[in-house]
Amino acid sequence: MSAKPIIEIVNMTKLYRMGDSVVRALDGVSLRIDEGEFVSITGASGSGKSTMMHLIGCLDRPTSGSYLLAGERVDKLNDRKLAEIRNRKIGFVFQTFNLVNRTSALDNVILPMVYARRGGNTRAMAMKALERVGLAGRARHRPNELSGGERQRVAIARALVNNPPLLLADEPTGNLDSRTGEQILKLFHELHREGVTIVLVTHEMAVAAQAQRVIRMKDGHILEDRRVDHEYRQELLASGMRATLHDHVLERPAVVEDVP
Amino acid sequence: MFFIQIILMSLRGLRANLLRSLLAVLGVIIGVGAVISAMSILEGTERDLRERFESLGSETLMVTPAVARQAGRAGGLIQTLTVEDAEALLDPKRCPHVKAAAPEVSGMVLAKNLSRNTEVTVLGTNEAYAEMFNYRVAEGQGRFLTRDDVASEQKVAVLGHEVAQKLFGNVPPVGRDVRLKGIPFRVIGVMEQKGYIGFRSVDMQVCIPITTAMNRLFGIKRITGINVRADGAANVGLATAEIKRELRRRHDIRLREGAQDDFNVMSQEEMQRQFSDVTKIMGFVLYSIAGISLVVGGIGIMNIMLVSVTERTREIGVRMAVGAQRWDILKQFLIEAGVISLVGGGLGVVIGFGMTDLLTTTTENLVRTHTSGAVIAYALGMAILTGVVSGLYPAFKASRLDPVEALRYE
Repeated sequence: MSAKPIIEIVNMTKLYRMGDSVVRALDGVSLRIDEGEFVSITGASGSGKSTMMHLIGCLDRPTSGSYLLAGERVDKLNDRKLAEIRNRKIGFVFQTFNLVNRTSALDNVILPMVYARRGGNTRAMAMKALERVGLAGRARHRPNELSGGERQRVAIARALVNNPPLLLADEPTGNLDSRTGEQILKLFHELHREGVTIVLVTHEMAVAAQAQRVIRMKDGHILEDRRVDHEYRQELLASGMRATLHDHVLERPAVVEDVP
Repeated sequence: MFFIQIILMSLRGLRANLLRSLLAVLGVIIGVGAVISAMSILEGTERDLRERFESLGSETLMVTPAVARQAGRAGGLIQTLTVEDAEALLDPKRCPHVKAAAPEVSGMVLAKNLSRNTEVTVLGTNEAYAEMFNYRVAEGQGRFLTRDDVASEQKVAVLGHEVAQKLFGNVPPVGRDVRLKGIPFRVIGVMEQKGYIGFRSVDMQVCIPITTAMNRLFGIKRITGINVRADGAANVGLATAEIKRELRRRHDIRLREGAQDDFNVMSQEEMQRQFSDVTKIMGFVLYSIAGISLVVGGIGIMNIMLVSVTERTREIGVRMAVGAQRWDILKQFLIEAGVISLVGGGLGVVIGFGMTDLLTTTTENLVRTHTSGAVIAYALGMAILTGVVSGLYPAFKASRLDPVEALRYE
């Protein structure tokens, strides 16, 4: 296992002001994730996992603490620098896909390259990214002409197109039926095998159990940070709400065929 | 590529909400239409005036009766000018810089040839008039008035181009009779087509000796003005002074004793200046109206842009997540506002052309218009500027969104 860290968070705190009271969304969290890892962050709503996602994704800045992303200190960067970091170092996958509906799948994938001011043949690069997620044939379609699974694949292609060192997925299967969700998770496994570092934020234990390592959060703290072995997986599934639906996937996680 | 993508995207957005977009740009359409019409009218009028003044020639002076002033109020005209005044101006000792003088009286009269008749302006003048304004007799169509015609009070007439057409058609009029107020006049010449001299449309004019006009046709003793030509444009000032001195002497006006001139002398340049004041005021009024329409148009654009920003909050969040700078978002919405208003502006140009055309036709060319490329470019430029200025606040608002909040927006 490579020991090169991609995320190094030390004593990170995030406070929100809600009217007169202050909410401690993250309370002194430290965390290290290495290159090539597939990590889940899980917890009930209000546990701080969304805040964690926003901070890891450089969508927000911590109130205190330090954050090194791929060796670069990012906790105190200005908006401009943060946008640049998001563009180059992080690929986002969202629950609701968040594609720009008025443009084609291809244009959606091109978008991060546009903001990166990348020259060269961006169309060809976008096509390659779509091929990687098995959607080359749908490049010209608008998001509303695609199924949920296809949309999420477009979003993954978009997340990968700038070759970021980190793929950050926020409930990527939350809006998909179980079979499509499995396919997306299978794609994650494939990408992981190809060397992509994946951080998956989810409240579903069964989904979280797909990762190599699960970080469970509660009340702004890390409750548990553990490698997933067979025993732990069973435990997670037992506590998961949709465990039964995912059982059979787990028995053969890498070889689910696409159903024509 | 970014630029073109944004333009294409905003056009798609416009088409997706066609009715809403149309209503939003209605203000810009009307505004640009108003700008185009206003500028066309103004430019047409200015051209018209310039041509008219140029037709007078820069060496021309006009002597007209003064407006009577009683206790500061304007009254009627002081009609004291006579044919003899006009002749006196030709005295080389008293007025060395006056080259020619043509006195005039005029009135609307019914002209008749057999069963055809038409309303014409009869201009009583002398032999100097035609040459003074470079107004020529049509090729092979007789001659203009002579000194003898004026001296012997001949009942002869020189027809304007259109008068000849209307009364005689294809028949050569020279040698035939035309009846003015029932009195027969022998046609001695037909003038070439000219348009106008100053503010007089000479093609619908009939020139007769001033003596005949005063004594036989109108029965008046005073003339309505004297057209004077100075001997060179540089000497207009000198000629003006000479004319004033001579007329004061003749009319026994003593300024030192508090008397006032009973006449005005105005050069072509002065007349032009007076009218340019009028066109300036006209321009100000027209531009104000056009400007107000554009402001209203801008409000429409701002409104649709604010709606658009709210509707697309999540999209803005996504763009920020994948790396858009605040400046990229600002730029996108500004370009969109610009594109929307440019589309409105394009429609406005069409409307403007229509309005201008309608105005010219309904007033039968009385209002002259001229729509130049510069006018269109200016109007479109104003439209884009309006759009961008109106889009500034919504675009700023979009660019200041918090990415986390924007992504959460339902």
